[in-house]
Amino acid sequence: MYKLLLILRYLRRKLAPMFAVLAVTLCTAMLIIVISVMGGFLQMMRDAAQKLTGEVMVGADLSGFPYYQELIDELQRLPQVHAATALVRSYGLVNLNNRVLTVEVHGVDAAGLDAVTGYGGTLHWTSRDLLELLEAQLPPAEELTPGEKERVEARRRFYEQLDLRRLGMTFTPPPEWSDRPDTPGIVLGIEVSPWSVRDSQGQYSALNSSLGMQVTMTVLPLTRRGTFLEPAVRRMAVVNEFKSGLYDIDAHRVYVSFELLQKMLRMDAAEQVDPETGKPTGKVDPARATEVLVRGVPGVPLEELRRQVSSVTQQFAGDHLDCPPLWVQTWLERHAMLLGAVEREKLLLTFLFAIISVVAVVMIAVIFYMIVLEKTRDIGVLRALGASRFGIESIFLGYGLAIGVIGAGLGVGIAAVVVSHINEIQDFLTEHYHFTMWDPKIYYFDRIPTRFSPMEVSVIAAAAVLSGLLGSLLPAYLAGRLNPVEALRYE
Amino acid sequence: MAPSAPQPVLLTATDLWKSFQMGDQKVQVLRGVNLRVLRGQWLAILGASGSGKSTLLHLLGGLDTPSAGTIRFDSQELAALRGGRLDRYRNRHIGFVFQFYHLLPELNVLENVLISTMIGRPAWGWPAARSEARRQATALLDRLGLSHRLHHKPAKLSGGERQRVAIARALINQPDVLLADEPTGNLDEGTGQQILEVIRDFHRSGQTVVMVTHDRAIASAADARLTLHAGQLESSLEDSSAKPQDASNR
Ligand SMILES: Nc1ncnc2c1ncn2[C@@H]1O[C@H](COP(=O)(O)OP(=O)(O)O)[C@@H](O)[C@H]1O
Ligand SMILES: [Mg+2]
Repeated sequence: MYKLLLILRYLRRKLAPMFAVLAVTLCTAMLIIVISVMGGFLQMMRDAAQKLTGEVMVGADLSGFPYYQELIDELQRLPQVHAATALVRSYGLVNLNNRVLTVEVHGVDAAGLDAVTGYGGTLHWTSRDLLELLEAQLPPAEELTPGEKERVEARRRFYEQLDLRRLGMTFTPPPEWSDRPDTPGIVLGIEVSPWSVRDSQGQYSALNSSLGMQVTMTVLPLTRRGTFLEPAVRRMAVVNEFKSGLYDIDAHRVYVSFELLQKMLRMDAAEQVDPETGKPTGKVDPARATEVLVRGVPGVPLEELRRQVSSVTQQFAGDHLDCPPLWVQTWLERHAMLLGAVEREKLLLTFLFAIISVVAVVMIAVIFYMIVLEKTRDIGVLRALGASRFGIESIFLGYGLAIGVIGAGLGVGIAAVVVSHINEIQDFLTEHYHFTMWDPKIYYFDRIPTRFSPMEVSVIAAAAVLSGLLGSLLPAYLAGRLNPVEALRYE
Repeated sequence: MAPSAPQPVLLTATDLWKSFQMGDQKVQVLRGVNLRVLRGQWLAILGASGSGKSTLLHLLGGLDTPSAGTIRFDSQELAALRGGRLDRYRNRHIGFVFQFYHLLPELNVLENVLISTMIGRPAWGWPAARSEARRQATALLDRLGLSHRLHHKPAKLSGGERQRVAIARALINQPDVLLADEPTGNLDEGTGQQILEVIRDFHRSGQTVVMVTHDRAIASAADARLTLHAGQLESSLEDSSAKPQDASNR
């Protein structure tokens, strides 16, 4: 009992233990903040990556594989499969305002893709963005001539009835945006355009968007054997832009309609031609796709889904011996490099900060050793009153434990506050000190992502408590070993 | 004055030797000390500064071990007490009072007294024993004239008050022997006399006291006086009334 009494009193009276508590608090908070931000970053990347590709992909090389609709039908019969859609993937050039950009072109069935990846939700612009831009650019109403007013009014009406999301789903531009009636639409990644800029808040301005612009897209068709044919060139109108959350994707991917790209790449169904005579042989080459994306029913484990998809794919390949070899891949495998890098980074940072936290243990040891020195005579007195070695040791161990517990508690509290308000803190710093720790221009996410994982927090808090104990171990042992007579004589 | 009827022997020291190692020098402090303390006796041990008085008290109190010789409490040899039993011996049977009070600065007066009781009990037994212990401590402090000081920290107290708190702390567990190491050594004469009065008061109610001092006037308050000189105890010269407690005349 005297131990508890003394621990409580020592905690209250001394400045030194406050420093020890502070050290534990700071290290705990620091580790939790780092792990939460990195965890949030990772989570955001994972979410984005999963959204981009569905969960499992089946594919061949760029020359594609036939009978994909059969495969889709088979897959959709699986109880574990929620949706599946075909995709034509190729590489091409986009000429945007005389800038030539290399892009990955995806020919997609927008509704099918939406069911698998939530494609519709990534479409960035709405007519409200255009209306706001119009209002912002408008001079005061009284400065407008009646003719100008009329034109502004017309434009406003045009924007109001514009459903940009539907345009992005149908790939058909409004007549105002194309000079020919059959101009197809294209959806660019929001970072594809070199004029696309984010402001300091990480927001895009509709002013710099490519909406309504005419672009020329060039792709290279391949034969089934992989030789190049004449490039296919098409003029298109940008009907929307998408933002997936992964910079690399948003900077290099464009979406067009499935049938269009299939046709441009000559992967649609076509009559075979005898290469020598140039006459049709009467046989038909079936249409091809390069990939099928699959989304599982919620709750089905990824590996389970993958197994089912693999077995259906094997069955399918067995039925179609003219089909090129097919691979099956999960989204985790597809993005393993990217996610692995961030995961490593999180691990590395946590490790580095954990090493720094060892300083806290050393600090506790030093502070406690000072306290033991200062309390040497009291220790002698306690021994004279009948306290045992172990009793003395327990005082300091308990003291260390108390400091660990208090430090861990405060640390978790501070970390919780900082993590939940990290964006406000960042805004405050930017506003008052022009200091931006999280630059949305660099990090691509406009807000600092965080994830407060109870599991990780518990582990860190437990480690903090342990570090208090660990730091007091040696001083406690030394205190217990003090010769009581010498302790009493100690000046 | 203590009754003069024959009393049982409480503490016996036989041929005690004690040396300290200081660097490569060996300091021989005690060279064959023999001593008997009777139950109910008030014994004063005189001696110049550095003669080894404190060392002797520490040995008797089980705080240190002799280089040679034996100490017996009742019939129990201290050297045979190991670890926890020696700690319990100090807690139950011995009460230490030091020249410089040695109160714990973080605790108030009442807590400084109660800590002796707390040390003797396991933590789980404390809540049940608490109120009785507090009652006893308060009564003891009241007897020492400190009832108005219960919740003050030692720093707020005068030297005499501090020493009275130290005496209360030493006596709260009703020890068999009070070992007082120059209890008046840090006090002015008047206050020193007050402390002596306190000790006399407890002695009258049967408390055995071994008191160490270098001051003859203080020592004269005791029943018997011995002088520590050249590492040995001898009966004080001018003290003809007290029989030497030296084992040599056994
Ligand atoms: N722990 C120790 N280490 C070394 N020397 C000691 C120790 N304790 C006491 N001494 C020495 O023993 C002698 C007696 O000390 P002490 O018993 O304190 O004398 P007194 O109490 O009579 O003044 C002194 O010379 C002192 O320096
Ligand atoms: Mg001394």
